[in-house]
Amino acid sequence: MTGPNLGRRGFLSSAAALSAAGWVGSVAGGLVLRPTWAHAAGPIKMGIATDITGAIAPSGNANWQVAQFAVEEINKAGGVLGKPIELYLEDTASDPKIAVGNVRKLIQERHVDVVLGGITSAMRQAIKDPIVNRGKTLYIYPQLYEGQECTKFLYNTGPTPAQQCDRLIPYLIKTLGKKRFAMPSANYVWPQLLNKYARKVIEANGGEVVFEEYYPLDQAEYSATIGKIKDGKVDCVFMTIIPPGLQPFVKQLYEAGFQKNGGVLTCVYYDENLLNYHPAEEMEGLVSCLDYFQAVDDPFSKKLQEGYAKKFPGTKYLFTAGSAATGMYRGVKFYEAAVKATGGKLGREEVAAALDKAVLTEGPGGGAEMVPGHYHAKMNMYIAVCKSDAGKTHYDIIDKASMVDPREC
Amino acid sequence: MDFAIKFAFDIMAFTSVMVLIVLGLGVIASMMGIFNFAHGELVLLGAYTVYLCDEHGLGAWTGVILAPFVVAAVGLALERTIIRRFYATPIIAMLGTYAIGLIIREIVRGLLGGHYKAIPEPISGAFAIGGLEFSIWRSFIIITTLAVIAGCYLLLARTSIGLRVRGALENPMLARACGISTGRLYALTFAFGAALAGLAGALIVPLYALSADIGIRFLVQAFLSVMLGGVGTFEGPVLGAAAVGGMAAGLPWVVIPVLADPLVFVIALAIVRLRPQGFITVGRL
Repeated sequence: MTGPNLGRRGFLSSAAALSAAGWVGSVAGGLVLRPTWAHAAGPIKMGIATDITGAIAPSGNANWQVAQFAVEEINKAGGVLGKPIELYLEDTASDPKIAVGNVRKLIQERHVDVVLGGITSAMRQAIKDPIVNRGKTLYIYPQLYEGQECTKFLYNTGPTPAQQCDRLIPYLIKTLGKKRFAMPSANYVWPQLLNKYARKVIEANGGEVVFEEYYPLDQAEYSATIGKIKDGKVDCVFMTIIPPGLQPFVKQLYEAGFQKNGGVLTCVYYDENLLNYHPAEEMEGLVSCLDYFQAVDDPFSKKLQEGYAKKFPGTKYLFTAGSAATGMYRGVKFYEAAVKATGGKLGREEVAAALDKAVLTEGPGGGAEMVPGHYHAKMNMYIAVCKSDAGKTHYDIIDKASMVDPREC
Repeated sequence: MDFAIKFAFDIMAFTSVMVLIVLGLGVIASMMGIFNFAHGELVLLGAYTVYLCDEHGLGAWTGVILAPFVVAAVGLALERTIIRRFYATPIIAMLGTYAIGLIIREIVRGLLGGHYKAIPEPISGAFAIGGLEFSIWRSFIIITTLAVIAGCYLLLARTSIGLRVRGALENPMLARACGISTGRLYALTFAFGAALAGLAGALIVPLYALSADIGIRFLVQAFLSVMLGGVGTFEGPVLGAAAVGGMAAGLPWVVIPVLADPLVFVIALAIVRLRPQGFITVGRL
């Protein structure tokens, strides 16, 4: 909401934001979105377990909206072999302890056929057991993550470290000519495992890691780090710091003249949401690598964005890659494809067998296909550079890699 | 050498941020005996004021100037309606102010949709001295902090208002007997502390980007600063904040950053153990 008029629409969107933030009319009891029509054999029950409230709420709400959007599309087109999809939402509240109970509700009370959701790795770890082992249900995890999740009946639809690094790092080293890397990182599992993989790729391509360092998630002051970057003659910062520790780091790096002196800042979760997180000049030249950017020139992706904007006009929760929204879309569509392949059977074994080799011809950023036996999907990956025009930032796509292998499991 | 100067500047800038945040907290704790757990949210409201002004085309400067007044008004309203009921029970006051803080924080989180918003510096860029570049906004924060410290000190130590405040602090009964309205004085003190929080929020928001948690992340360190410096004085919390800020910025040089954070607490608690009265024990206001 911009502009000075807090009119009715502005008020409504604020009210919607408040309710989305969870303190007006919370989703404590869960939420059901029923299709407008029914089928004799009953609907397909799809459970969404995502962070509607708490720190991860911006991403969680985007996931929930994208799930609604994708399911509405499917139901409008006649459902899956005539069966409509019914959506069940449970809030995981950015808190694994709360999540486990709520996810159990999806399984034991709602008897859903599949659960999609979870954004942080901590959340995935917490809810996968109640879903997959005790709940005997399929689980689809949509977020880009650190890899190494090879649980049976758990399918990952976001990019892996290999997909994010294999093309990006050679680009930084060979094309941009950067050799000396620093890895400032937030202290949790995703940066630690991603760095481990990225370090291998850097060294294999003739680069060198000057230092790898971990910070508390809310660190506010980074002059010591900036000093090490200068001392070490670092020319590429491979960053995995996350908010709120993120903004002061990027500002101090910019103030130290790192980019001005030819340094490159790169971070593999930067999507369109992050454009508002820093002043334009600090973002200029930042390199990101994701499975989708809004700048991708693909007619189907453009149509998706238009449809999404029409369903959620003026929404604060964008359809982007970094927030797992693209993985969520893929997850819903993969499941649809798998159920089609089983001829409408919903048994876990049958759907999993079909899901294992499911193929999507189109989606955000292009199609995707499951790698049989590996629980991960091949997808297109894009390298984008942030550009600023008169104080407005956007991404320019500079490289596309088709159907990149996840190299997991 | 170049680097040492730059590093000293960065530490000074961060220390100023800490001092700014602690000042309001210290004033309220020292003068009124209230540990204001909503202080972080008053800082947040200052930051949010800048954001609103910037969004509505009034410019960030207007926001920076308005913020102390807006937050002072909020503080005054809070004191008159809620805080004044807690003077007799400081422990309950902590819980009460915590609740107020929670409410403010979650409302703002809802309004922001949980997102972060970058706020541009009202004066961005850098100036150069001898080939070294210094951020203008960080310099502005350092200078403002020094001016605010000096102003507060003069107000409390050199004016008749300050005399009344100190009198009311020393012996409220006697002050009332002398015709000083302690109730009004407390309300003004709280509003003043809130105004300082608002100013701090407005000044730091370009550095950290606006989010609902901008204030709370400094709150624990701010309380530590007040403890370290000693409650009941004006200089104490300022010195405490300088020590905590300096350690937080400097320690990551010496130890790994993840250890630096707890180490600040260990050192500070060790000092508090040795000097339970805080740095300043004599010459109280």
